Amino acid sequence: MAYEKPVTDYDYIVENCTCAFCGCNCDDLVYLVKGGEVKGELDGKLVTSGYVDGGHVVACRHACRLGASKVMEDMDQRLLVPMIRNDDGALVEVDWDTALDKAAELIAGAVRPVFYGWSETSIETMHYGLELGELVGAVLDNQATICHGPSLQAVQNAGYPVNTLGEVKNRADMIVYTGNNAMNSHPRHMARYAAFPRGYFRQRGRFDRTIVTMDPRYTDTAKMSDIWVGFEQNGDYEFYNAMRAVLRGKKLEKDVISGIPKEDIEELVEAMKGAQYGSLFFGLGLTHTLSKQRNIDIAINLIQDLNKYSKWNLIPMRGHFNVNGFNIFMAFEQGFPYGVDFARGYPRYMNGETNTIDLLTREEPDVFMVIAADPGAHFPSGANRHLSNIPVIQIDIHWGPSTELADIVLPGSFIGVEAAGTSYRMDGVPLYMKKAISRPETCRDDEWIVNELLKRVQKIKGIEPKVASK
Amino acid sequence: MTYVDKPSVPNVVKFAEPSATKRDKLEVMLNTGSDIYQGACKKRGSTLKDEYRYASGTAYMDPNDMAKLGVKNWDKAIVKTDYGEVVVFVAHSRDAPHEGQIFICKGPWANVVVSPETYCCCDPTYKGVPASIEVTEEEPLLMADLMAEVYKKYNEDETSTGNRLVKLPDNNVSHYRH
Amino acid sequence: MEYILKNGIVYDPENNIAGEKMDIQYKDGKIVDSVSDNAKVLDATDKVVMAAGVDPHSHIAGPKLVVGRLYRPEDSRRGVVPKTGVTRSETGFSIPSCPATGYRYSRMGYGTVVEAAMPPLEAKHTHEEINAIPNLDVAPLPLFGNNWFTLEYARENKVDDLAAFISAWLKLVKGYGVKIVNPCGGEAWGWGMNVHGVDDPAPYFDVTAREVITALAKANEKLGLPHSIHLHPNDLGHPGNNGTTIESMKILKNITKNSPVRNQSLHMTHIQYHSYAGTNWRDFESGAGDVAKYINSNDYVTADIGQITLDETTTMTADGPMEFDLHQLNGLKWANKDIELETASGIVPFIYSGRNSVHSVQWAIGLELFLLINNPWQVFLTTDSPNAGPFIRYPRVISWLMSNKRRTEMIENREVHKAVERKSILATLDREYDFSEIATISRAAPAKAYGFTDRGHLGVGANADIAVYDINPNEVDPSAQYELIEKGFGNAAYTIKNGNVLVKDGEVVQVVPSHTIWANVQGMEAQEEAIIESIMPTFNKYYTVKFENYKVDDHYVPNPIEVKVQPGKAGK
Repeated sequence: MAYEKPVTDYDYIVENCTCAFCGCNCDDLVYLVKGGEVKGELDGKLVTSGYVDGGHVVACRHACRLGASKVMEDMDQRLLVPMIRNDDGALVEVDWDTALDKAAELIAGAVRPVFYGWSETSIETMHYGLELGELVGAVLDNQATICHGPSLQAVQNAGYPVNTLGEVKNRADMIVYTGNNAMNSHPRHMARYAAFPRGYFRQRGRFDRTIVTMDPRYTDTAKMSDIWVGFEQNGDYEFYNAMRAVLRGKKLEKDVISGIPKEDIEELVEAMKGAQYGSLFFGLGLTHTLSKQRNIDIAINLIQDLNKYSKWNLIPMRGHFNVNGFNIFMAFEQGFPYGVDFARGYPRYMNGETNTIDLLTREEPDVFMVIAADPGAHFPSGANRHLSNIPVIQIDIHWGPSTELADIVLPGSFIGVEAAGTSYRMDGVPLYMKKAISRPETCRDDEWIVNELLKRVQKIKGIEPKVASK
Repeated sequence: MTYVDKPSVPNVVKFAEPSATKRDKLEVMLNTGSDIYQGACKKRGSTLKDEYRYASGTAYMDPNDMAKLGVKNWDKAIVKTDYGEVVVFVAHSRDAPHEGQIFICKGPWANVVVSPETYCCCDPTYKGVPASIEVTEEEPLLMADLMAEVYKKYNEDETSTGNRLVKLPDNNVSHYRH
Repeated sequence: MEYILKNGIVYDPENNIAGEKMDIQYKDGKIVDSVSDNAKVLDATDKVVMAAGVDPHSHIAGPKLVVGRLYRPEDSRRGVVPKTGVTRSETGFSIPSCPATGYRYSRMGYGTVVEAAMPPLEAKHTHEEINAIPNLDVAPLPLFGNNWFTLEYARENKVDDLAAFISAWLKLVKGYGVKIVNPCGGEAWGWGMNVHGVDDPAPYFDVTAREVITALAKANEKLGLPHSIHLHPNDLGHPGNNGTTIESMKILKNITKNSPVRNQSLHMTHIQYHSYAGTNWRDFESGAGDVAKYINSNDYVTADIGQITLDETTTMTADGPMEFDLHQLNGLKWANKDIELETASGIVPFIYSGRNSVHSVQWAIGLELFLLINNPWQVFLTTDSPNAGPFIRYPRVISWLMSNKRRTEMIENREVHKAVERKSILATLDREYDFSEIATISRAAPAKAYGFTDRGHLGVGANADIAVYDINPNEVDPSAQYELIEKGFGNAAYTIKNGNVLVKDGEVVQVVPSHTIWANVQGMEAQEEAIIESIMPTFNKYYTVKFENYKVDDHYVPNPIEVKVQPGKAGK
């Protein structure tokens, strides 16, 4: 890696910013800002309230590689103006009114609209989105549908013994990562919350803890662990079942289970029983393989059984900084976490029926709005293929794979950098992500964009505007 | 901003093949997911650049498998599944050993070959898809070209290329092959 | 705008009005002496008129609720109502969605609800949900009983520091009072353990529930908060816990209250769950007699009941170890949520059934307490919603309280298990509540206990929060016509909030934003600053959020009702 000199050329410091990348939502970032004018209070270089108008973040302290890459993006591929696809298939710049009116017209005229995304925007934006969805009878869904949806189903089957990350930091002497590669997808997870920090009852930090990684690959996380359990691909369910059987005092009949010798399983179970406080973090390795939610069912049951001997909790490693937030928001507003269908005038939630992938492979939607998400990059092409048949409205900050499929592009702004908003960490801790700098002049806040769409659709439908969602 | 040319990977140590002979095609298990290079490219918005092509459009392989296939880092291969085929780079996996398994970071390239089948559980089957990998001289496409070629949203002349998605049967039930 | 509510039969215990036919006038959201001839007339002829209901203990907003909704779609599917021109769609039975919560309280004529457990770290979440609930004023009680700072101050007996800490934290999280749940037990649950009784110390912290309750009560009175400490004592749901309950009440005997707006210095919550005699589930029986006797002879205590309604519901409490025990007992899916440095909590679905002897006796214990506690100002109507049953069952509980006939019927027709006759004395209690007593336990007394001077009554100057029920007390015999009582209290003829008609004939006709009620202690700024400075090193080291991001931004409290408290003097 090239060596980069420390950044010394900056004008302002903004502290305690919340990272808008993964579900760790690290809220200790310090942005060094160059240029602009402070709208708020200043103490030396430190911005104590308000934000820097017109400034640019030149460095970002404490952030991991992922967080820093997002915060310090170089505007190269930034979407800066609203665009509409012309007859030749090229995106051309239009003014905001034209783009919003066109989008509102599509939404208002849709029979089966799907609003997908939301995990990288604020709860405040979702308020308007939900009101719009209820109005037109849309399906609202978020990235959980392609990542931790099965986890939520498992939670509905088996239970949800969770804790906040501070409990792990202060108490845990045994930590298990299963089916996730924290060092790559949640790079500060081990450093800030789980493995390394010194906790109240774990004053020696890493030395007071045993770290176990269960993954078919010898991942970077496994390399940081004391124990690597490399079970076979698709062997998750069998492996956890064996663990649970051993925990319940059963003898294993096979010598090797999912590629792991039974002695190793017995030893591991003993160690887990003997821990004072254990925490299990599970990721997409469990949700994306064939057994899907059943893998997690059994993991949850294992954790529940372990509580007869010791204290164990688990946390799903949520990928986006507000993917949990959408599930929480939808649950408190309308009772269901994701994949909520308002077509009939009341919320319906039916896995495999009202979820984005299933809708797309059945070729049901006739308008697709994607906000703060990237189906182009993350949906199987068997599902994405339908997006080339129907109008796609994109609200995002970058030109990405989804832009290649979009017909209307509405440039939003960065939550946690250019706009404030609420998000929920993977363990459910809410954070108010503050605004550090102003957004590019030609962009708009997500909140404003969705509210504008709502107002315009209400106008088309001849409905009196109400107080949003409340 | 520093861009990485390519993700850093170990150099392949060519194993003397004790038993197996060199093969043109390997049957493997396809695994997808995120890694830190892919994540960084995606979120800083460099998806149109070569950086993203190397980060996401690369099949990470076990060195033994690479030896069997006779490829070295950043050679090119074509990955085929029931759902499609895509040209990618190959590289020595940082997470090896995982013989018989290849890992492609999530992204437009992996999307072409993973299974959209959710089995009514909302989540497509991104991991554990049976696949084959063989050497090719074709160049992996940049993101925008790939999207244009695969989805043809704005291309009237649909027959101009061979890289078509495998059309699913009308009832949308695909056959899971072991 | 002026209104006159004509010819209702008014029950206003605070102002000693019991069944008097009279008019109520209000103007600009407040009750007034008189209005001009232009006042709009609302007809309430021969209908029961009361102040809008005040729920002293209900779980309606916050992280626990959302975990319940996330993991029980089967419950959400149970209460689905499509959207109308006025209301959004509703979901849920025991854990309704936020809009449904507001609408359903409104339909019952309620105007104010106390959210009984707010973990400070996740207070923003609770406030977000309060904002999503329409039509109510909500006062959230932050959890202090297992907070590490509380435990330290209690062990060192630093009441002044604790008072400053509470004062600062109420400001930070926009809370109303001090909630204590299974003191020391929650911390013990951090290690998968529990404490038993008030003298069993928490591991490591080496402090007992007795010390924690004492310190928090002293600090609470030092600040003169409008509500007393709100105690969920140790050993919830254990046979033989009535001893612990009485012992917990005795702790407060020598601590005098220091607020003129309330009468009690201790509020005991859901005491139904804490009035069990026996030693195990086989010889388990009612211990309501002893508990009621103690409350009858000690007027510093108030209690709410947590009446079992015999429904399938969702239990949720900050008492984490109790929920795990419950999961071991019924085998249903267990959720748990431990919050760093602050509290534990747990959730388990529960099916209370009249066929089950234990559940039936629990049902009887609640009713016994209602009937054995003589002074209705000391006992409040709750189901500890959703723990013992959802709040929409209040009208049914009222019908049970007003009708000995119905209670006898339930026992004799075996709608409840025959164990009720052996293990409780309910069958021998023939007391029946009258409308004034119902008005007391469901609005006047809870409002008093919280120091809500502007609600819970219909005196001049009070908020125009009014409920009108389509029941004619001169014609209806509640003892015989209990079904009419349940129907009447469940479908208000009018619910008026701050002068706005929200419900008419049992239908929600208007939706208004909620308010958040919080207590702001004045004049403690210096002490608060000092205490925050002293705890900052611990905070920075052991929390996983920054102090700046911990506090509840004003953004989350768009409609505050700020109750200013002068330490040691009257509230408001």
